[in-house]
Amino acid sequence: MIDGSAPMIRLGIRAASPFATVVGCYLLFAGHNNPGGGFAAGLVFGAVLALRTIAGFHRPTYGIPLVAAGVFVVAAVALMPLLWGDPLFDQQVLSVEVLMLGKIKTGSALPFDLGVAAIVVGTVIAALDGLGAAEFAADPPANSDRGERE
Amino acid sequence: MIFGLLVLHVAVCVVLACAGRRLGRSSLLVGAVPPACSALWGAARLGASPPATADVTWVNGLDLAMTFRVDAFAEIMTLIVSGIGVLVFVYAFGYFGPGATHTGRFATTLLAFSTSMLGLVWADSVWTLFVFWELTSVTSFLLVGHKSTDTEVLAAARRALMVTAGGGLVLLAGLLLVTGEAGTTLISELAPVDGTAATIGAVLVMIAAATKSAQVPFHPWLPGAMVAPTPVSAYLHAATMVKAGVVLVAVAGPALGGIGAWKGCGLAFGVASIVWGALGALRHRDAKLILAWGTVSQLGMLITLFSVGTPVAVLAAVALLVAHALFKGALFLIVGEIDVRAGTRHIDELGGLARSMPVAFAAAVLAGLSMAGAPPLFGFVAKETAIQAALGLDGAEAWVVGFGVIGGSVLTVAYTFRFLVAVFGPGPETPLSPRRHALSVPPLVLAVGGLAAFAVLGPLDAVLAPAAVRLSGGAPVDHLHRWPGLEPALAISAVVLVVGAIVGLALGRTPGQAPADHAGRWTDASIDGMVAFGRATVVRVQHGSLPVYLVTMAAVAPLAATPLLADISLDHLVRWHTPLQGVLAATVVGAALALCWVGTRLGAGLALGAAGITVAAVFVIHGAPDLALTQLLVEAAIVVGFVLAFGHLSRSFPKTGLRWRTVRMTVAGLGGVAVVIGLAAASGNPVGAPPLAELAAASVGEGGGSNIVNVILTDIRGLDTLGEVLVLATVALGVQALARAASSREGSAS
Repeated sequence: MIDGSAPMIRLGIRAASPFATVVGCYLLFAGHNNPGGGFAAGLVFGAVLALRTIAGFHRPTYGIPLVAAGVFVVAAVALMPLLWGDPLFDQQVLSVEVLMLGKIKTGSALPFDLGVAAIVVGTVIAALDGLGAAEFAADPPANSDRGERE
Repeated sequence: MIFGLLVLHVAVCVVLACAGRRLGRSSLLVGAVPPACSALWGAARLGASPPATADVTWVNGLDLAMTFRVDAFAEIMTLIVSGIGVLVFVYAFGYFGPGATHTGRFATTLLAFSTSMLGLVWADSVWTLFVFWELTSVTSFLLVGHKSTDTEVLAAARRALMVTAGGGLVLLAGLLLVTGEAGTTLISELAPVDGTAATIGAVLVMIAAATKSAQVPFHPWLPGAMVAPTPVSAYLHAATMVKAGVVLVAVAGPALGGIGAWKGCGLAFGVASIVWGALGALRHRDAKLILAWGTVSQLGMLITLFSVGTPVAVLAAVALLVAHALFKGALFLIVGEIDVRAGTRHIDELGGLARSMPVAFAAAVLAGLSMAGAPPLFGFVAKETAIQAALGLDGAEAWVVGFGVIGGSVLTVAYTFRFLVAVFGPGPETPLSPRRHALSVPPLVLAVGGLAAFAVLGPLDAVLAPAAVRLSGGAPVDHLHRWPGLEPALAISAVVLVVGAIVGLALGRTPGQAPADHAGRWTDASIDGMVAFGRATVVRVQHGSLPVYLVTMAAVAPLAATPLLADISLDHLVRWHTPLQGVLAATVVGAALALCWVGTRLGAGLALGAAGITVAAVFVIHGAPDLALTQLLVEAAIVVGFVLAFGHLSRSFPKTGLRWRTVRMTVAGLGGVAVVIGLAAASGNPVGAPPLAELAAASVGEGGGSNIVNVILTDIRGLDTLGEVLVLATVALGVQALARAASSREGSAS
């Protein structure tokens, strides 16, 4: 068994996770014009969650709801244009002037990427659960039925 | 209008499914409304031309469409299906009585069946026909198994489903062959076909018809299905569903009638069923089973006549189809009334019913005489025409058909008289519960229908003759005659009646035992065998060993590369674009070799990671930062997965035998070779230049982004991405389910 409670590992993961999250956010928003995108961002978020799980900080259990929400968003983005007679997946580009930041250009690709990221993160969480993430939790949660039986 | 009626049926079905529990028994009366509308529409259309058509295309290129066409024959079938349907719904209202449970469910299923049957007789596209054909099998299964707490009932329902739905699969194969040969999927446009494929197809279609219409040797499901409530027996197993096979033979006759094997199979099924069914009807002692076996015999007669295919035979068959629906429906409903009021339908326990149930007795006599073919009833006209058709043939066919029709008629008269004497004959009077009008009126209507049809033969002939013309491929058809004149057919008919009546009256009340149901047991045994075979196959194929699954998949995948062997070209190969590529390639190969030799799991994981990260570096050199980024992140996620999984596993790989090692090395080598072949072939044959300029323009213009890769993912090929993320979501669900299954097994083991 790998010891997730070693102080150096815990400290490292705690220090690195905010930065990694920022990187993930950057990838999510940058994807349209630079390398990145929903899939990559989802993997980064997923890795952060996985590391924090190993270190025993918390144990996410919302994998499947997250996947469901992601599928809903993705499907909505895909089907919405049909409502006003445009083809499936027709891109809506939006440019807004924001104080201090200047002109920001975004579009319906952003919610699509968000949905993809949610699905990826959800899948990672489900896989963590499947691989026995419960054993890394600092104190086994009382509501886990495995914990009760053993 | 056709779609309107179908939608009305389905809508009422949905309403009954939702509100059936609250409506209770009156849902049966609500369910009678759509058939009544269809019957009125069919009656109003009688004699109208051109045929009513309706279609909606689903997949254009594949000829997949819902196509309906109501011609002269379909109108008659509409009247039978919907007209008798209304009577059966009313009858069921009386049959179930005020205290019955699940009547809402029963009404829903019965209406669903009625809808499927209408769709079947209206269908013009063979695929529409097939869909409704299978729907009738399924709804019939549900109706036979209505009393779902009785194991005997469940066994009978399973038998009916396996035989008729299995026949549906045979039908699918046959239709594929026939339509492939004919070049059209519309029944009305099928031209006569021949050839080996068409012959095999025709035989398969005939076998399918024989399963649905309970022909020997597929017949045991029909007597078995008599465990169903009587309205179901009267409606499905006498008047309509078992006619589906006959309808199929009828409408396919003009196209397939020229094939010798079609006619040969049809006559073999038909004549064997006429004789065996009638003998069964003479031996059984349950009134309902007597009728069921009689139905097998009558259906054999219909299949025989439609297979003969001469205009007279087809006219006789159409007349017999109508007559049979009237008299057999009536007799079933009468037996149901006896069953409800006397509490039994075993002929040894019934007595004095002629006096205590005079209305039922009168109806039974009318219907029975029509079944026996006695004047002045419609059954007589049908039988006379059938004998004329048999006499009009020559050669061996004349002997076979003549034997079937005339011999079958004698036996029919015999079992009819035996039925009437045995059920209504004298004996110690059976106690009866009070009379219910909903039970006694519908059979009377049907029985009197046989008399009325004889009385108004002229107008009826004007309706039936066009149907016969349609079913004999446009050949001119003679008319039905109330009195054929002093002809050989009449003499034969008289002899048939006298001989049959003597036999039937003599057998009437002789005591005896019902024959053992050997054929039924064989059918059940073969179904059991099939299920056991399926189970054994699953155990062998789905054995649960993950390494074997993976090796099997990896061994099959390289086969995909074999067609590419011819496309390999080495002319364009260069050593490298930059020397760095060589370094990276050497690193990947080194990491892969290390992975093979290292004995610990952690070492193997590290080697795999090294290979993956080096591949990401290759992507960077080729100017694909998106690909490299994704590759790196996936590698990271895999490392986390390893870390988690290693906690549950041993430090080193388990030792394996030499043979298993050899198998895995061979498969791995094959996989590598296949990838090399695929790459060499793909890079040797570029299909045109990549449309880079257009993609870049489209990316900025339509997608509003300058990263072409991501604009392709989210916009230009968005549908592909949608599919991929749905796969991912499915994987997440699968992982969760597996984990839950594993943890619950652990939990129950501890």
